[in-house]
Amino acid sequence: MATVPALDEPPAVTAPAPVVHRRKGVLGHWRLYAAISPFYLLFLCFGLIPVGFSLYLSFHRWDGLGSMEWAGLAQFRYLLGDTDFWSSIGNTLIIWALATIPMIVLAMVTAVMLNSAVRFKNVYRFAYFLPNVTSIVAVAIIFGSVFSTNFGLMNALLQAVGLDQVAWLNTPWGIKVAIATLMTWQWTGYNAIIFLAGLQTIPGDLYEAARIDGAGPVQTFVRVTLPLLRPTLLFVLVVSTVTGLQSFAEPQVLLQTTANESTFSGGPDHAGRTMVLYFFQQTFDNNDFGYGAAVAWGIFLVVVLFSIINWRLVQRRGED
Amino acid sequence: MRLSRRGLLRAGLAGTAATALGGLATGCAVPAGSTGRNMVLWYWSGGLSDTVVEEARARFGRDVDLKAQQIGGYYRSKLITTMAGRAHIPDIAGLKGEDMASYLPNADQFVDLRTLGAGKLKSRYLDWKWQQGVADDGSLVGFPIDVGPVVHYFQPAVFDRAGLPHEPADVSRELDTWEKFFAAGERLKKRVPGSFLLTDVGSVFEMSLGQGTTRFVDRDRHFIGAGEHVRTCWDRAVEAKRRGLVSDIVSGTPDWNSAAERGLLPSQLNASWAAGDLKLGLPKTKGRWRVADCPGGPSNVGGSFLAITKACREPERAFEIITWILDADNQAQGFVDAGLFPSTPASYAMRKLREPDPFFGGQITMDVYGPAAEQIPVAYNSPYDIALGQPVRDEIKNVGVLGKDPAQAWRDAMSKCRRIADHLGVTY
Repeated sequence: MATVPALDEPPAVTAPAPVVHRRKGVLGHWRLYAAISPFYLLFLCFGLIPVGFSLYLSFHRWDGLGSMEWAGLAQFRYLLGDTDFWSSIGNTLIIWALATIPMIVLAMVTAVMLNSAVRFKNVYRFAYFLPNVTSIVAVAIIFGSVFSTNFGLMNALLQAVGLDQVAWLNTPWGIKVAIATLMTWQWTGYNAIIFLAGLQTIPGDLYEAARIDGAGPVQTFVRVTLPLLRPTLLFVLVVSTVTGLQSFAEPQVLLQTTANESTFSGGPDHAGRTMVLYFFQQTFDNNDFGYGAAVAWGIFLVVVLFSIINWRLVQRRGED
Repeated sequence: MRLSRRGLLRAGLAGTAATALGGLATGCAVPAGSTGRNMVLWYWSGGLSDTVVEEARARFGRDVDLKAQQIGGYYRSKLITTMAGRAHIPDIAGLKGEDMASYLPNADQFVDLRTLGAGKLKSRYLDWKWQQGVADDGSLVGFPIDVGPVVHYFQPAVFDRAGLPHEPADVSRELDTWEKFFAAGERLKKRVPGSFLLTDVGSVFEMSLGQGTTRFVDRDRHFIGAGEHVRTCWDRAVEAKRRGLVSDIVSGTPDWNSAAERGLLPSQLNASWAAGDLKLGLPKTKGRWRVADCPGGPSNVGGSFLAITKACREPERAFEIITWILDADNQAQGFVDAGLFPSTPASYAMRKLREPDPFFGGQITMDVYGPAAEQIPVAYNSPYDIALGQPVRDEIKNVGVLGKDPAQAWRDAMSKCRRIADHLGVTY
């Protein structure tokens, strides 16, 4: 509210400024542009040029060493009919959903508990954040043990409550659940911290008002906390979509078995083969860099689609 | 000192300029290959004996500064991208055996070792291995490092309990065909409850395929993976599954280690280098393993090569170094240090390779490995074999692990192969 007058003021002051600006132009500010240029130069080298090259590559056949051969739209035509690619999109989305939904619920609960914790607040926050900064390869190796059939922690728990063993890493659904659990474990703490930040922006007087109106804890959570956390929830969803659609190391390390096998095949029935894993297999196992680039652009389109969905959600929030 | 905004800008500017200039300078000075005395060798951890590499540094130190670099991670992708980038290309590069076929179409990126006199050394190396390093135009790209002869690792105590032959010579003689091997598996399963002859169906398929001389794609870029030779291996793997000889354990997991330790997986068909994995993963089973011939005949898994890239400025010197590193004496050292099985038959008779191995109950394992290595058939490996073998390997896994109908699995594999062949320009 305090910013409104401040926003109103500047036009009056800067009114004569455009003349000066026009005279100086872009070159007049070269020092400023030079100062921000490192980012753009690095982005050009390591971002834009490779992206452009991958587009160029997707119209060619290339084995990575020899000469390139023009392929026109052949790679994309093959991509459209490639059932393996479509199933890898399906796998990615299923794993993403299996990981994200429990993750959001758990993170929310954790955040509410952290918010009301009295002692060791920072210790908890640190502990919950730790999984997120642990090397994914190390985590996947540990989870490989947790989900092993005869001596895994998971099956020990199942048997303790009288259920049968599950061959987690040897059945299509077991593989998906194992990967999703790993991702949930890794991201719950991070998102709990984000939710916690969101919770702390909710003014205390709203809770006080709710209490005076006679709302119980559940009602307060549903009617006050949740609606006000919506922007935070959207942020968490966006971030988890971006990371979930790019999952690669989790299935790769979790499902690699022996040296004789491709590490990108994603286990029995390709149950753990995500989009990025499939891209790696095509590119580096098969030495098919042209098709790999086409797959990468296919992944790009899927990510764009989800970004648009996310953006629409945020937009609607802005309208009401 | 307090920085003013202007001062900060100037500092930022100077920094940017320095970065840009630095980048430019390195950009201009990118060396493509060796400069002066430098000779860069790329390999991976365990790819060569570190002692031998160190000795080579000292030995050739007067003429060149040999910089041996262990490259971690996904080796081939790093080598390919470096070569495609045409900068900082190593003079000598290790090439892994399973990737060899994919380098050969680009033989022009490497020095043809025949031009350096490799022909004179040919008779000292295993012929089938030598052929794997030869490109279609006849040029020699890879110089043999090691090979991976496949043998039958087994636990004699468990075999004895099942009433099976358990002396290495007896196992080699009496379980010499797949049929006899499978029959032994049925007996094992009956006599030792909970035990399985095979971890998965993949090893049967892989080793059977390796015992033949044809793979998935022939020299004329024609898909032959639907042929009788692949079908036989497929049927054999399916049969192992049907007869209940295959466990549901994933190899390389803690489950596998524990089952092997308890004698429930007392047999393994694998390459010579798998002995190192056994020793590392199952130290408690020391003395409880023996080595016998693989049923159905010898085959090979893995093994690698050294190559000289076109970027090398002193190919003669580089060739001198690699032939020294890979001579029979040093290959014997490589076996002792890193379990690299020599591609030089002269090494097999050397004393240090004929030491009794306590892990294998004092057996002289060279008696099994050596003859196996010498009898491996020469096969043509196409650069398209990996892409076109994958659907078949995936589907046999589905049969083995998920119990998918074998007929359906074969049809699925073949229809996928047809699509991929079409895409890669391989005739069907």
